[in-house]
Amino acid sequence: MNKIVLFFLKKYISSPKREWLRFDSVFMVIGIIISVATLTVALSIFEGYETVLKNTILGVNSHIYIFKAGEGNLTNEEVEQIENELQKHDGVENTSALIVTQAMAVNGNRIKGSIVRGINWEQQELPSKYKQYVLEGTWKLNAENSAVLGYKLAKELNLHVGDNFKLISPMNSKVTPMGIKPKEEIFTLVGLYRSGMYEYDSKFIFIDREVMSEFNSMENEFTLVEVQLKTDWIERADYIAYVWEHEFDYKYQISSWVDFNSNLFSLLKMEKWVIFIILSFLILIASFNVVSSVTTSIIEKRTELGILKAFGASDKILQQIFIGKTLILALLSVTFGQVFGVLIAKFFSWQKFFVLKGDVYFLDKINVQFGYISWIIILGVSMLIVLAASLIPLKNISKLNITNIIRKV
Amino acid sequence: MSLIRIEKLKKSYQEASGKLEVLKGVDLEVHPGEMIAITGESGSGKSTLLHMMGMLDSYDSGKIFYSGKQINIKDNELNEFRNKRIGFVFQSHYLLEDFTAEENVAMPKFLATKDFKKSVLDSRELLKALDLDDRRSHYPSQLSGGEQQRVAVARSLINSPEIIFADEPTGNLDSKHSDELINLLMDLNKTHGQTFVIATHNKEIAGKMDRCYILENGILKEETK
Repeated sequence: MNKIVLFFLKKYISSPKREWLRFDSVFMVIGIIISVATLTVALSIFEGYETVLKNTILGVNSHIYIFKAGEGNLTNEEVEQIENELQKHDGVENTSALIVTQAMAVNGNRIKGSIVRGINWEQQELPSKYKQYVLEGTWKLNAENSAVLGYKLAKELNLHVGDNFKLISPMNSKVTPMGIKPKEEIFTLVGLYRSGMYEYDSKFIFIDREVMSEFNSMENEFTLVEVQLKTDWIERADYIAYVWEHEFDYKYQISSWVDFNSNLFSLLKMEKWVIFIILSFLILIASFNVVSSVTTSIIEKRTELGILKAFGASDKILQQIFIGKTLILALLSVTFGQVFGVLIAKFFSWQKFFVLKGDVYFLDKINVQFGYISWIIILGVSMLIVLAASLIPLKNISKLNITNIIRKV
Repeated sequence: MSLIRIEKLKKSYQEASGKLEVLKGVDLEVHPGEMIAITGESGSGKSTLLHMMGMLDSYDSGKIFYSGKQINIKDNELNEFRNKRIGFVFQSHYLLEDFTAEENVAMPKFLATKDFKKSVLDSRELLKALDLDDRRSHYPSQLSGGEQQRVAVARSLINSPEIIFADEPTGNLDSKHSDELINLLMDLNKTHGQTFVIATHNKEIAGKMDRCYILENGILKEETK
C-alpha cells in the first residue's frame, strides 16, 4: 500500500478526535456486526449439525456393508472367505458379521417396533461404535438373554436397567393348532445405548449374535458383514464398495455409507449455501450504512480533501485513504460479528429451552461448529460487499472543486 | 524570461440572472523574484485570477505559460506540477486538524517524495527559521491565528516552489499579526528571492509590493506608485 495512505490511516487511528466513533460510523459498525453475526450463527449451526450428523452416522454405522446378492443370508463359509479377503486390503480397519432383524419389543401394554442387531460383542473392535455409546449399565451381553436398548426406546417402553421385556419376532411365526404364533422370548435390559441419532436411539436393540441366531432360527447364517475403513479411506467408501463388488465377482451386494446418506449430505450442503446467499443480503443491506457513512465522511472532510488536492494529492490517493479507513473499520466489525455470532451459536447449543425434534432432524441437540473455510468466506464476502459499497460515494472525491471549497469556508 | 505569463484569460459564471463575466481577457507577466499585489473590491475576481494562475481552477479561454511553456488545467500531471512548483497561502490557514504543525508543513513534501522522515526534518528547519520551533508538535487548534498563518506560509515554502500565491493572507489577522506576516513574506522575498503574487484589498500592503495591479470590471490594470 502507498506510504502516504498508510501514514494517513495510522494518523486517523491514533487521532485524539476518535473519528472512528462518529455517529454514522457507529451505525455502519452495528449494521455489519449484526448481519455478520446472524450469518455466522446460521452457518455455524448448520456446519455443526452437518459434522455431528456425519460423525454420528459414521460412528453408529460401519462404512461398508456386504450382503448376499439376491435372496438369502451369508453362510459361515462365505463370511470366512470375505473376512480373509478383506484382511489383505490396506484400507480395512476391522470387520464383523452380524444378524439384523425387525422385532417388536413389549413391556406390559407398551409395544414398540425395533431393529434387533445380533452382534459379536466380544470382538475387541467392532466396525460400528457400540461399546462407546453404552452410557448406562454394561455393554457386555454375557448374561443369559441380556440386551442393550436405545435409551429412547427404553424410555418409551418404560424400561430401566435390570428390567425384563419381551421380544416378539413375527418373521419366525409358527403355525400351531391355535393359529399362527410368533416367536417370543424374554430379555433383560442390561445397558442403555445413546448415539445422539434419534433414529437409532429409538429403534436399536443389541443382543448377543448367538442368542440372536437361535432366536431368529438362523444357524450358521448372517445377514451381513460390516466393514470399518481406516480414516483416510472413509470418503472413498463408495468407490471401494464398487471395486470389491467386482473383485468378489458380483457374488455379494456391497454398499457404502455414502450410498445410503449422500442425498442427505448433498441436501445439507445445498441448504447451507442457500442460507448463506439469503443471509448475505443482510450484509448488503448493512452496506447501505457504509454508503451513507463514507458520503458523510467525504462531506465532513471536504475542506481537508480540497487542501490536500491543492497541495498535490491525487484523487487516487485520497480515495485509497477512504477505502482504507472503511475497510479497517469493516474488518474489525466483521471479525467482531463473527466472534459474536459464534458466541450466540454456542449459547443456542448450551441452552436447554429449545431443542431439536429428533424424529424430524435426526439429532435432538443443537451443535455448533465454525470452520476456517466458513470464516474466510464470510470475511471475504463481507469485505467485498463493503468495498463495493464504499466505492459508490468515492467518485464524489474527484468531483470536489477546490476553489468552491476554499471560497465557502 | 517571465516566470508566469497569462494571455487574454477569460472566466465567466452562469448565474440565475445571466452570465457573469469575472475576467474579461486578463494579461499579466510575473518575473522571478518579484512581489506583485493584485487589489480590487470584494468580488472583483482577485481570488479567481489567483486560483487560475495557481492551476486550481479552469478558465473559459486564454493561455497560461510557466517558464515559457503553456500549461493546460486538464493535464494529468497537474497535481505533481502544483505540488512541486506552486505554493499557496489562503485567507484561512486551512491546516489539517488531525496533524501537528510540523506534519502540516511536511505534507506537500511528503506527497511529493513519500519520504516522511526527510519531509519532517525539512519541516522542522523551516519552522525554526520562522521562529515556530517550539510550536512544531502543536495541533492547529493549539496555535494562535498569527502562528497558524505562519505555519501555512511554512507549508507553502516546503517544496521550494517557484511562486507562491497568497490570497488575502492577512484577511483573518489583527493588524499586529498582519504586519508580522507581510514582513515575513517580504523577508523571504529579499533573502531567498521568493516570488509572490498576493491578492489583497489592503492598499497599505499592496503599496509595499514591487508592482501593484487593480482588478476592476474584469480588467486588470497596473497602478503606478
